[in-house]
Amino acid sequence: MSSQYPGLLIIVPLLSALLISVAGWVNKRLCFPIAVVGLSVALYASIGLLLRVLAADPALDGGVVLYRLGGWDPPWGIAYYVDRLNALVLVVVSVSALLNLIATKNDVRESFSTKIGAFYTLYILLVTGLLGITVTGDAFNLYVLLEITALTGYGLIAMGGEYRAPLASLNYVYMGTIGACFYLLGVGYLYMITGSLNMADIASILPGLYDSKVVLAAFVICMVGVWLKMGFFPLHAWLPNAYTYAPSAVSSLIAPLMTKVMIYVMIRLMLTVFTPEFTFSVLALQTSVVWLAVIAIVMGSILALGAPDVKKMLTYIIVAEVGYMVGGAWLGNRAGMTGSILHIANDALMTLCVFLAVGNVVYRVKGYGFDDLRGIFVKMPFTMIGFVAGAFSIIGVPPTCGFFSKWYLISGGIEAGHYGFVAALVFSSLINAVLFFKLIEVGYYGSEDAHHHHGTTPVSMAEAPVSMVVPLLIVAGGLIAVGLYTGDIVARIIDPVIAQTIMD
Amino acid sequence: MKFLGIIVVVITGALLVYTTGDFPSWSDPASPASTHVSPHYIEKGMHETAAPNIVTAVLADYRGFDTLFETTVVFCAGVVCFFLLRIPGRSPFTECQYRHKATGITVRVKHDRKMSGSFGEFERIDTLWTPHDLIIQTACRILIPFIQLFALYVIAHGHHSPGGGFQGGVILGASIILLAISHDLRTALDRLGEKAHAILCSVGVLVYAGTGAVCMVLGFNFLDYGALARILHVDPVMARSHGILVVEVGVGLAVMAALIWIYSNVSSRGNYDEGL
Repeated sequence: MSSQYPGLLIIVPLLSALLISVAGWVNKRLCFPIAVVGLSVALYASIGLLLRVLAADPALDGGVVLYRLGGWDPPWGIAYYVDRLNALVLVVVSVSALLNLIATKNDVRESFSTKIGAFYTLYILLVTGLLGITVTGDAFNLYVLLEITALTGYGLIAMGGEYRAPLASLNYVYMGTIGACFYLLGVGYLYMITGSLNMADIASILPGLYDSKVVLAAFVICMVGVWLKMGFFPLHAWLPNAYTYAPSAVSSLIAPLMTKVMIYVMIRLMLTVFTPEFTFSVLALQTSVVWLAVIAIVMGSILALGAPDVKKMLTYIIVAEVGYMVGGAWLGNRAGMTGSILHIANDALMTLCVFLAVGNVVYRVKGYGFDDLRGIFVKMPFTMIGFVAGAFSIIGVPPTCGFFSKWYLISGGIEAGHYGFVAALVFSSLINAVLFFKLIEVGYYGSEDAHHHHGTTPVSMAEAPVSMVVPLLIVAGGLIAVGLYTGDIVARIIDPVIAQTIMD
Repeated sequence: MKFLGIIVVVITGALLVYTTGDFPSWSDPASPASTHVSPHYIEKGMHETAAPNIVTAVLADYRGFDTLFETTVVFCAGVVCFFLLRIPGRSPFTECQYRHKATGITVRVKHDRKMSGSFGEFERIDTLWTPHDLIIQTACRILIPFIQLFALYVIAHGHHSPGGGFQGGVILGASIILLAISHDLRTALDRLGEKAHAILCSVGVLVYAGTGAVCMVLGFNFLDYGALARILHVDPVMARSHGILVVEVGVGLAVMAALIWIYSNVSSRGNYDEGL
């Protein structure tokens, strides 16, 4: 049974998506329970995998769980490789997807009443794609699953209620397709020069070919493709609109997970496929990429300052956070890489937290402008507790997890002597503080203003349903719990990952 | 901004051309792509999968997991088209055209509820498609069964000759779309309705994924068709060949249904009434 975990992780959600599609035509009430069961099994399998990987002895078999699909040995068939790095990301993806699924149940039932089967089919397929990208050890298989996540994502985003949603989605289609094509082209180059699609196999062949121009081109093309997909600064133009105009149940799924999984892919390419030796020593790109990340952080923060509403502000913060992680990974030292990997988990959780909170607000107030937040602390106190926890984590206030990853990133920057990156991180934290305290001020004191000027009656409490608030508070508690256990996570999961790839 | 775009394109293009210098030369038998993995497929494919067509063996067996998700991509496309385009509820048309079958006279009927396709000696016709094409309709009616037979051959014979689920499914779907084009959308929908499109599309992928899941239940890895030997009472290599066939049938179903589903939604702008 436990040897089948990597298979179950993907197959059960896939099968449940297909069953939901049938159920949508037979009995609509079955859709949601099937979705919950599918994702619960995925969560169970991913936690099981993480425990197995943690128990495995790194000296014995590299601490890797190998699963041969179709029973074929790699490199002839497709294989899954689960090590500590992707086991961590798998748990984050399945936890976030399941919590978001439960939290958005009411919202989805009201917004997509007639097409609920199609909605949950696409939702579960999107999660299947994200899990598949994370677990796979095959460069081409990764592309196929990238297509699944992209296609389902386009559809889900385009169904946002506002009239600009289809256009935002179309923009995403163009940019996303170009990004996926670049990645595929890079994989094609790698296949041409190595004759293999298996990541571990490619990694073992590449060292003899480091001076080949084709390998260089493959690396650069893959990186640009992945950067486009994650919305790294100059290539981010599709991201804010797509994530803002998507339905709130979809924003809170895609915004936390899509960019983080793409960052995982980037780190996987840098550490496993092309070794750190190639990435940091053979290429002379390191410093320029970190400077790009600095620009991303600064510009993301400035654009967030000028954003017209809450959701768009949060999407620009994501653009800045992508800068954190790319910069941290490219600093080329242990602390930076640790911070970057830790931030994948942390940022997924805190983005989920704030987007769930905004989703609850939209559910009750029917809007996400700054004015809609007036008196929101009185109206929705529990939702706002969750929001404040997420906001503190994004700013980097100590007990929450955001502080710890930022700590590692900053110490990585200092170690590498890259003070521009350190300054950008501090600058962005200050801007985030300004942004969120502005929101908190509007939400906390705004009601009195409204009372004075318009003479409206004092707002009464109108909290979102329990099924929406409880998952949010679980995530908010998780932010603090993950923060407190940072030491364990780093020592048991992230350090061995980096040690295996022999980074100095 | 346009100028900046041109510069980026030129630089990217120049870099791509520059790297071609280190490419293995054209059709070089010693290139990595033809020496590393492919010899295994060519030399051992037949012994390991009993499928004479190497392409099918790689596609549906060695890398069958990729193909499962390629089929899922087609399924996804169908679901997304439905999700975005379909307008549920009654037909938006309050005025329909009917043709008297014997004389060809067209009449326009106003009504406020959905009417049946045809009644008595009158048949419903599309507003934007009035000509009466006896020759085209008859020719298509004669052709369609043969097209479908050929499609079934392409699916069933996929592991012996060029062909397979994707190609056969497309031909099957095209035969139904031909019916819709030569007659009208409602005629095609009478043969195979919307619910059938949707359910067949998921059933097709379910057949594929289900075959893999059966292997898992029998204690093998996902999609390890060798496990089917126990059910089919053949040796494991032959079981792989049969497994490929089952999977190809699933692909064919999914692709056919997805094509018709997409066509119906796009051509009728989601109202499933009047279309091309």
